[in-house]
Amino acid sequence: MTQTVQAEPTTLGTAAARRRGRPSRKQPRARTGMNARSNTMAYLMLAPVVILLTIFVVWPVVYAVYLSFYNWSFYTDPIPVGWRNYMNVLGDRTFIESVGRGLLFAVMVVPVQLVIAFLFASLVRTVSGRVATLLKVSIYIPTIVSGVIASIIFVLIYNYQGGILNAFVGLFGVEKQAWLGNVSTALPALAVPAIWLGLGICSLIMLAGMVDIPATYYEAADLDGANWFQKTFFVTIPLMKNIFLFLLITGFTAAVQQFELPLVMTDGGPLERTLLPNLYIFQHFRNDTYVGYSIAAAILLMVVLGSISAVIFRVLNSEKAVDG
Amino acid sequence: MRINRFRAAGLAAAAGALALTAACGSGTPGQPADTGGDDAPEGATTVEFWQLSFQDVENEWYEAAVDAFNESQDEIHVNLTQVPGDAWEQRMTAAQAAGNAPDMYTIAYNGVVSAATTGQITSLSPYIGDDVWSDVQEDVLASISVEGEHYAFPMLVEPSAVLWYRTDLFEEAGIDGPPTTWEELQDYAAQLTTGDVYGFGAAQSAGDMGWSTWGLQWNVAGHLPISDDWSEAQVGDEYAPLLQAWQDMYKAGSMPQQALAGYADANPLGEGHLAMNMGGSWFASVLINDFPEMLDNIGAAPMPSFHGDPEAPTATLGGWTWVVDAKSEVPEEAAAFIEATLGGGDDEQLLEYFAGTQFSKYSPRASVNEALIEAAASSENPWAATIAEQIVPFSKPEASYPWDISMAFATALEQAMQGTDVSTALADAEAEINRLIEANQLAGTAPQP
Repeated sequence: MTQTVQAEPTTLGTAAARRRGRPSRKQPRARTGMNARSNTMAYLMLAPVVILLTIFVVWPVVYAVYLSFYNWSFYTDPIPVGWRNYMNVLGDRTFIESVGRGLLFAVMVVPVQLVIAFLFASLVRTVSGRVATLLKVSIYIPTIVSGVIASIIFVLIYNYQGGILNAFVGLFGVEKQAWLGNVSTALPALAVPAIWLGLGICSLIMLAGMVDIPATYYEAADLDGANWFQKTFFVTIPLMKNIFLFLLITGFTAAVQQFELPLVMTDGGPLERTLLPNLYIFQHFRNDTYVGYSIAAAILLMVVLGSISAVIFRVLNSEKAVDG
Repeated sequence: MRINRFRAAGLAAAAGALALTAACGSGTPGQPADTGGDDAPEGATTVEFWQLSFQDVENEWYEAAVDAFNESQDEIHVNLTQVPGDAWEQRMTAAQAAGNAPDMYTIAYNGVVSAATTGQITSLSPYIGDDVWSDVQEDVLASISVEGEHYAFPMLVEPSAVLWYRTDLFEEAGIDGPPTTWEELQDYAAQLTTGDVYGFGAAQSAGDMGWSTWGLQWNVAGHLPISDDWSEAQVGDEYAPLLQAWQDMYKAGSMPQQALAGYADANPLGEGHLAMNMGGSWFASVLINDFPEMLDNIGAAPMPSFHGDPEAPTATLGGWTWVVDAKSEVPEEAAAFIEATLGGGDDEQLLEYFAGTQFSKYSPRASVNEALIEAAASSENPWAATIAEQIVPFSKPEASYPWDISMAFATALEQAMQGTDVSTALADAEAEINRLIEANQLAGTAPQP
């Protein structure tokens, strides 16, 4: 069998060579030429993307790393400062706390978002087509709402004086709360719109993953007498592992890097309790005379996010789907 | 031949990619979006002027001033661009990065020294004569000068802290007049707090406290929280009464648990949600325009002095100046426009600005200020004389040290307000300011006027 398989190309190659009127011994050179042309074409096709990536991603990152070792402004010659910008950033408890706070924010947002999205997608899958469409449109609307607009809406909801939420809790005799002014409630108050904004795309991706699972698996489970929970935990969830991994990584990095909500709703307060890392970097970029510090902070944040993403990938190995 | 075709295709793809990237990069950040005035006359030198967009009445004055200057001569043509506040930083940074920064622009007092020492703006001293500078108040002049060179021309000053109060609510509570001591202020605030009305409102977040309390920091301690040469923190117990006042009023509930609006917003006072409101002199303009029916019920007074001295500073003089970019190729022409508009070329027109803003702002030039106070007496602003005579003369210039230092102190104030022990909060601020001095190598870098 092996010999037959090995013999086939030679035979085909010889026939092809005969058709072209060339001796068979020239065939290897011809193949090499074809491969070279294929490779050239492949490189050419890749070139635009590589050039764009180089210009807009690779070069800016390299240049940013370079600048992070300088005190640099648009008006004066750069002054080399070695690792001082990095030492200053790492010595600033505000930066360290902002990264920790970003991780806490991600823990508040991502699991809740995944659970709600999973339940919602499960619901959509069970209802009829027209209702499913209505549900999908409804859940997707927050995704197309600008983060700034959402922030303003939630500021109105949380308003200390005249806010809808305080009016609501007032119905139950609860005193009005400074939701965005209290150090213990400010960050959770920001997590709610973050969950709301990300729920639409998360649910639709979940739904796509669910629809992709072959119906035969569920039929087999039905034959075995499995109930909804058993089918969910032994069929649906294991087969959606890659979907969860993708949503976990993207949701996690997006939550840590959340910027608009704290900027518009609290400007990082009260007492820096909503100062997430990107807002910290932005505030320094806006106020500092030299940009080296904020660039060093951004690079350190990139390292932190990259490391955590790598750990998540390592813990939750990406696998090819079982039915793939 | 085939290879040639591949190469041709590759070249086309590369050219396409380059064209695409070139298109992506041609957005020309900072390109003026809103150019005022007519087209430049032939041979005239064009001066690009970016103005931070303010109230409509101010924007209209800027347009009129530019038009008047352009029409008065043929050699210089000023192009005015009004940039919204929320877009200013991004647009200016992008323009500077692209080498398209405007020739001149508006800048707040506390940014002048930093911009001068880092080479972002050019000295105006060579272009504007000493006789013009001599009319500017000494303190204000010092705040825009580095080593004897003047880097900005002051347009206006606004005291950052005035005690605005509702006379109708005072009468209802049986209280006479505004408080003159902090004990009275705290006592009145407690008495005036009822239902949805809070006795006292002020900045309650570090971002707002950072600049709005500079005057009170001067008042309570006699200095700012860093030594004059920026070599060490100066945060001692002398600041405790200020932090204690915020803590007590917050705890007592006579201050809201969350600021009802940003520090610059006068609406809670006009709407009657605050009986006393620490706010800038700009409140006058908002109150006259938006709450005309309430004018008889609103009074203005200096903030009380912690040690009883009525002449001690309680406010800083914030406001706006005009500067010329260090990379401008037409600094002389830009300075000529500045001198003609702000420096005495047409003071009648300048007075129109102050009249248009209902005399809620004051001139840093002595001669203009005298005329302004005289005109304000017959204006609809009933508080102008009080502010001009009882607050402005005793106010300090804004702090010129890096903003992080102001934030470190403001964070201590916010910490205390939220319940942290006052001594602990002050110790935190001292440690943080010393860390910032060390990290940014600030010691000995304080600019000398």
